[in-house]
Amino acid sequence: MAEHTASRGRTARGDGAAALVFLSPFLVLAVVFILYPVGQALYMSFFDFDLLTQTATNFGLQNYREMFGGSDLTWSATSMLTWRIPLLLLAGAVVVRGTRRPGAKRTLTVVAVLLLLVVALGVHPGAHGSWNDQRFWAALQHTIEFTVISTPLLMALGLGLAILVNRPGRLSTVYRTAFFLPYVLPVSVVTLIWIYLLNPDRGLAVKLTDALGIPPIDYLNSPSFALPAVILTTIWWTVGFNLVLFLAGLQDIDPHLYEAAALDGASRWASFVNITVPGLRRVSMLVLVTQVVASFQVFGQVYIMTRGGPGDSSLVLIQNVYQTGIRDAKLGYASAQSIVLLALILVVSLVELRFLREDADS
Amino acid sequence: MTAAATAPEAVRDQARASSPKPRTRRRPTLFHVFMIVAVVVWLLPIGWMVVLAVSDNHLLQLKTQTLIPQGFTLDNIVTELRGSRIPRWFLNSVVVTGVTTLGTVVTSAMAGYAFGRLKFRFQTPLFVLTLAGLMVPREAMFIPLYLMFSETGQLNSYQGLFLPRIALPLGVFIMTQFFRAVPHEMEEAARIDGAGHARIFLSIMLPLARPAMAALAIFAFVQSWNDYLWPLVVATNPHFFTLTVGLAQQQGSFDAANSLGSLMARGLIGSLPLVIVFLLFQRQLIRGIALGSGEK
Repeated sequence: MAEHTASRGRTARGDGAAALVFLSPFLVLAVVFILYPVGQALYMSFFDFDLLTQTATNFGLQNYREMFGGSDLTWSATSMLTWRIPLLLLAGAVVVRGTRRPGAKRTLTVVAVLLLLVVALGVHPGAHGSWNDQRFWAALQHTIEFTVISTPLLMALGLGLAILVNRPGRLSTVYRTAFFLPYVLPVSVVTLIWIYLLNPDRGLAVKLTDALGIPPIDYLNSPSFALPAVILTTIWWTVGFNLVLFLAGLQDIDPHLYEAAALDGASRWASFVNITVPGLRRVSMLVLVTQVVASFQVFGQVYIMTRGGPGDSSLVLIQNVYQTGIRDAKLGYASAQSIVLLALILVVSLVELRFLREDADS
Repeated sequence: MTAAATAPEAVRDQARASSPKPRTRRRPTLFHVFMIVAVVVWLLPIGWMVVLAVSDNHLLQLKTQTLIPQGFTLDNIVTELRGSRIPRWFLNSVVVTGVTTLGTVVTSAMAGYAFGRLKFRFQTPLFVLTLAGLMVPREAMFIPLYLMFSETGQLNSYQGLFLPRIALPLGVFIMTQFFRAVPHEMEEAARIDGAGHARIFLSIMLPLARPAMAALAIFAFVQSWNDYLWPLVVATNPHFFTLTVGLAQQQGSFDAANSLGSLMARGLIGSLPLVIVFLLFQRQLIRGIALGSGEK
C-alpha cells in the first residue's frame, strides 16, 4: 500500500470517476449484504424483536444481561479448573518465551489477558443460583472445545500429509487429490456417510472396533462421544484444504537450504526443525487464523449429525443463534448472540494477525 | 503486504510438484505402499457410499457392513433421478451457484482493477474496509439478512439465495493482488493509443487475469455449491431447496433406515457434480486456495 501513497500526488485527480464505475457493483452489494447486516444486528441486539408479532420493544442491554447474567453468582478459586489450569500454564509459557525474546509489551499484554480470563472463569452460580441462559454457555463451551481440539489436529495432520505428498512424480499428485477429495463433498453428503459409518448396528466403524474387541458404541447418541465424532468427521472432510495451504508453503521454501543442510550432514529431523518449521511460520499462522475463524462458525455437520444433542452435549453457537432466531422467533436475542460471536472472532483474528505481523517482521 | 505483489508468480507452479527437494529416496516402494494403503483407508467412506448406492434396498436390510455391492443394481440412482425432487434441487443449485460464481468473479475483477491499478480518493480506507469484511463471519450474520428478505417478501426466491453471497471480500483481495503485480508497460502502449480504462480493463487486464479468475471462480463455485446455513434459512419451500439443503433434510427421517441404498444414491448424485468439477479443474482450485491464502 506504500506504493499508492507515494505516487498519489501525481495522479490523484484522474481516476475518480472510473474508480467509481469499477467499484460500485462490489461496494453496493458489500454495503447492503455485509456492512448493513452487521449494523442491523448490533441495532437489533438492543431490542426485543419478535418476528411473529412484528414488534420491537426497546430492551437496552436486556439481551446481553440474559446472555451473560445469572442469579446468585459467586467466585471461587476452584471452579472450572480443567479450563483454568491450562490457561495458567499457557500464561507461564508466554512468560518463559518472553524472557528469551524481545517484545516485553506484547508478552505483558498477553499474560494480562490470560490471567484476567483465569480470574473471570472463577465466576459461577452459587448453591441456589444459575445462569440465565444455560444453553448459551453450553454452546460457547462446545464451540471452544471444538476449536481447541480440532485446530491442532487439523494443522498437524495437514502438515504431515503435505510433507508426504511434497515430492515429484505423478503418484504424489494422485495422493494429494485423494486426500483433498472429501473437501469438495457437500456437508450433507459428508454427514450422510458418517452418520451411517458410525451407526452402532450397521456401520463400518462398529465392524472395525469389533475386530479390536471394543463393544459397539452409539457414538452420535452418547454425550461423551457426540462432539468427538463430529470432530473426527470434520477432520476427514476438511484436512485437504490445510494440506494444500501447507504444500504451497513448503514449495516456497528455497530448496538450496536443504541442499546446504544435507552437505553439512544435517539429519532429516534437524533440517525439518531448522528449515521447514521456520519457513512455514507465515503459512502456519495463516492456517491457524482461517481454521479458528471457521471453527467458531461450525454449524452444518453438528446440526445434521446430532442436532446439538444428546441433551445439549454438542450444541454450538451458530446452532443456538439459528434456533433462537428462526425456531423461537426471538430475533433480538439471536442478534445479540451474533454480535458476541462477531466480537469473539474479531478479537481472536486481530490478536492472531498481530502475532502474524510481528513474527513476519522479526 | 510486500510479498503479496509476487503472489501470482509465486503460486503459478505450485499445483505441480516443481522444485523437487533433494531427498534421499532410499525405499520408494515401501513409501508408495504405505501411501496407497493410507489413500485407500482415506477414501473408504466414499467407496462405501458408492457400494451402498448400487446395492439392493432389501438386501441392505440384512447386511450393510460390506464393501461388496449387495445385489448390484442401478435402480436406486435411476429412481432418484426420475421420481424425486433431486433434479429440481440440482437445477436450483446450478442456477444459484452459476449466478453467484459469475457475479463474484465480475465484481471482484472490477473492484480489483480499481484498487490495483487506479488512484482515487479514499482508496486506502475503502481497501481497509474491504479487508475488514474478510473478518465478518458470514454464518453469524444471517439474522438481519433473513429479516431483510422476509420483510420484502423474498424468502423462497432465487435472488434471495444468491444476492447475499456475491460480494466476496476475499475475491476482491485476490484480484487486487493480481492486478497490482501486472507491470506498467503492459498498459502504457494502449494508453498512448488513447485507450480508456474500459478498453484497458477489457482487452488487456482481463485476458491477463484469466488464470486468477479461473481459480477464484472454482473457489466461489465450491463455496456456493456447499453453502448450507443461508439456503436453509432463506428457503422454506422444498421447491427452492438447494441440493445440499435437500439432501440434509431427508437424513433425519426414520424410513431412511429401510432405503439406505436410495439414500446413498442421493448422496452419490449430490456429490458427483463437484467431484467431476474438481477432477477436471483441480489445478485451478488448488491454485485458488493458494492464491487466497497468499497474504492477508
